[in-house]
Amino acid sequence: MTKRTTVLLSLICFVCSAPHAQTKPPGFSVSGTAGITYEGYGLSRSPSGWTGYTARRPWNQVRFNFTPSFKFGKDFSLPFNFNFAAVPTNFAGPYAGIKNQNFGQFITNPMNSFGLNPKYKWAELQLGTQYLKYSDLSTGDIGIFGAGVDLRPKTWRFKFFTGISQEGVNYFAGPPTVTGAYKRKNWMVQVGNELEGKYLFAVNLAKGKDVPASASPPPTTIKPQEGVVISVLGNVYVDKIYFKGEAAQSTFTKDVTTPTTTLLRGLKPFIEPHTSSLTDFAGQLSVGRKSTNFDIGLMLKYIGAGFQTTGYPYLQPDRFDYTLNTRFNAWKNKAGGYKMNVVASAGRRVNNLKNTALKANQFIANLNWYTQFDDHWSLNINYNNFGFQSASGTNPYGIKNVSNDLGVNPTFTWTGTKIMHLVSLSYNYSKYDERDVMTGLTTSNNTHTALLTYVPTYLTKDLSPDFSVLYFYNDVPLAKVKLFTVSSALNTNVAKKKIRLRGQLQYTLGKLNAFSNNNNLIASCNIDYKITKKLSWNTFLTTNYYKYGNEITPVGANYLESMCRTGFQYSFDTKR
Amino acid sequence: MKKIILTILSICFLFTATAQIISNLVLMAKPPAQLSEWGSRREVLTLILNGQGVPVTQFKIKAEIKTTDGTVVGSVDLARAAVLTGNQAGGPTILFASDVLPLEYMNFTGKYKSALQKTGKLPADNYTLCTRPVRPADYAPLGEEQCKPFYLASLQLPILMKPYNEELLDPKKAQTAILFRWSPVVPAQTSPVTYRIQVFEVLNNQSPVQALRSNQPLLDKELLAVTQYIWQPQLTFVNEKSKFIWTIQSLDKDQKPITQTDGNGEARSEPIVFYIGTSTKHD
Repeated sequence: MTKRTTVLLSLICFVCSAPHAQTKPPGFSVSGTAGITYEGYGLSRSPSGWTGYTARRPWNQVRFNFTPSFKFGKDFSLPFNFNFAAVPTNFAGPYAGIKNQNFGQFITNPMNSFGLNPKYKWAELQLGTQYLKYSDLSTGDIGIFGAGVDLRPKTWRFKFFTGISQEGVNYFAGPPTVTGAYKRKNWMVQVGNELEGKYLFAVNLAKGKDVPASASPPPTTIKPQEGVVISVLGNVYVDKIYFKGEAAQSTFTKDVTTPTTTLLRGLKPFIEPHTSSLTDFAGQLSVGRKSTNFDIGLMLKYIGAGFQTTGYPYLQPDRFDYTLNTRFNAWKNKAGGYKMNVVASAGRRVNNLKNTALKANQFIANLNWYTQFDDHWSLNINYNNFGFQSASGTNPYGIKNVSNDLGVNPTFTWTGTKIMHLVSLSYNYSKYDERDVMTGLTTSNNTHTALLTYVPTYLTKDLSPDFSVLYFYNDVPLAKVKLFTVSSALNTNVAKKKIRLRGQLQYTLGKLNAFSNNNNLIASCNIDYKITKKLSWNTFLTTNYYKYGNEITPVGANYLESMCRTGFQYSFDTKR
Repeated sequence: MKKIILTILSICFLFTATAQIISNLVLMAKPPAQLSEWGSRREVLTLILNGQGVPVTQFKIKAEIKTTDGTVVGSVDLARAAVLTGNQAGGPTILFASDVLPLEYMNFTGKYKSALQKTGKLPADNYTLCTRPVRPADYAPLGEEQCKPFYLASLQLPILMKPYNEELLDPKKAQTAILFRWSPVVPAQTSPVTYRIQVFEVLNNQSPVQALRSNQPLLDKELLAVTQYIWQPQLTFVNEKSKFIWTIQSLDKDQKPITQTDGNGEARSEPIVFYIGTSTKHD
């Protein structure tokens, strides 16, 4: 690990020194950033031996970023994208729980990126880690370490990439348990035609295949898998109107060790169907109109119950969504602008179209309505509804959960001779109804939040403080939670504006039912020091002290956690 | 007279032949919805054949899946099914789902075939599985038919409700408390489900799913049978706009993912993103 880091640092030093070289060719330039950040975390719990609060950051972490872009004349560019960290901290996905990673795992770990994209006119070579999104239904969420091209002669588009999205990870019973993963190889290709701002037509193919012998011992739960998806994509833009559509078919084998079958056609020759293979469709369509003061759009999305792609590992299948979105400005002011802005959406999602599960219906609605009445008054109102309804199986009553939120936020501003004042009051009411599937009784969970903020901005001094008071009340049968928070922050520039300081102090008094109060104090500080025009040193310090009431044992339990993040960032551009 | 004697002898032979294997079918009442998963999990189905002291020779298993009204929706194609050999030592022969219900040799009808091909599952319903050992040559019964009912309904993981996708939260409010809500696992389980809520910060150079797969979560809490959580982050949201991704992992009574073969294999719900910041949508 140290050796790898040393080699990479040497490379960074070499490139950072390159801009100062005397023999740079005509038209040569380098721009970008390079930086190193250290994060230290501490947690002290009392009484000794109490483990009721666990660490939520790595004790020590060093992150590197290095993103220079070399330009040779106007046609050739060579951008780098190196972002990596010293300590693996994976909690979800294929590398969850991994501590000692080998070189292949280090390179392909999603916390690290090593990308290089040399480009000559319309031809781009893609090397190393790439997060490529070909479309919404084929591939886009995973990083792959490999090689490929993105060719765009005239209006034609040809993309191809192949590599590894995850290395094999051996199962380890623990503790802590490492679930393990199979090495996964990926291929993707796109052929299409595009005239930017006018149209795009493309055909995508994405494949992922696990290597069964790549983990020893192998994972005990997940099986080696293989999946292929083919999609057809079409986008058309006519003036302010857009039309976007995609249709896809996937064949996904959940376990490549199951016997092959002839009962399923699948996507031959790209994949051989097994008894654990699924083949299904997905499609999405959006149509709408966009303009400066009015947008409206309709989005439809269907994902078949057996649709699965390695490019979107967390995609939820078996659903049909439709949403109507709008945004508009209204009520002209004297300056020609608008006083009112409304953003709203309403839609429904239906699960279980194939009847393999219990049907679930969800209604989703959002509204954000902002009005600037005059130079002093403004009002923001927001509303959010999410309803979920489903049968519950063999229980007498179905599941019904409804979440409703309403927020009202008036703001008043006025300007004195030296200070501009802002007072903002925000009230939010949130109601969550949940039906018991055995008794049919609905319990309501009500939450009230009130926030008062005062922000004076000094017109003659470089000083921006703010003060706020918040009251939070949550009421659910058997539990009443009250929180009262006061906080204050201060922003200022010192040392001829070379150093920007931001500090914040927050105290929260909490109470659960009739238990004694718990207390929380948070202090934080940002120090951003611009050492030179190109080099900056940014530091963030925070500490958090929490003392429980008698709602937990041992009584008097408390913890102190602190975090320090400090780093240097160097920006370079030989053109300047 | 000779014919009568021969007929009686034949009937007696047939009777002894059918009665010679005693079978006992053990089937989970709620097996995995994914039929291909039955073969890799031995606890799903066990068929014990006992020759009553006589070694069980070669046989095939005639297996049928029926709806509650007796309609056969899937059956083993006996012509293609493998010939099985019993325990030659005379002890019981134990078979599992991969022997009894070999999907590669099964035929399904109509909408059941379509559903199985598309989803790997049968429509959610009550079914009955019937098995009987038969002679490989003429499929004559070698024992009594055994039937067991079962209920199929695939699990639906929770859907994340609040903060909704791409919701912008006020930093002053978020510093004190953030409300998380999600829908329960469907259908309702016999044992209470543990919901593991995780919140990850998305760093500047990361995509949301990349952050989920690589960062240590700022919140990682296991909650038993509740679908709301009030998080006191105890963090300072000083940046202009911080980005977070959150998800729910559903765990069974043994603290293992409630479904390990469907979707991502981690029983993690589709994650969504929320922001904490001062910039508002009308800016």
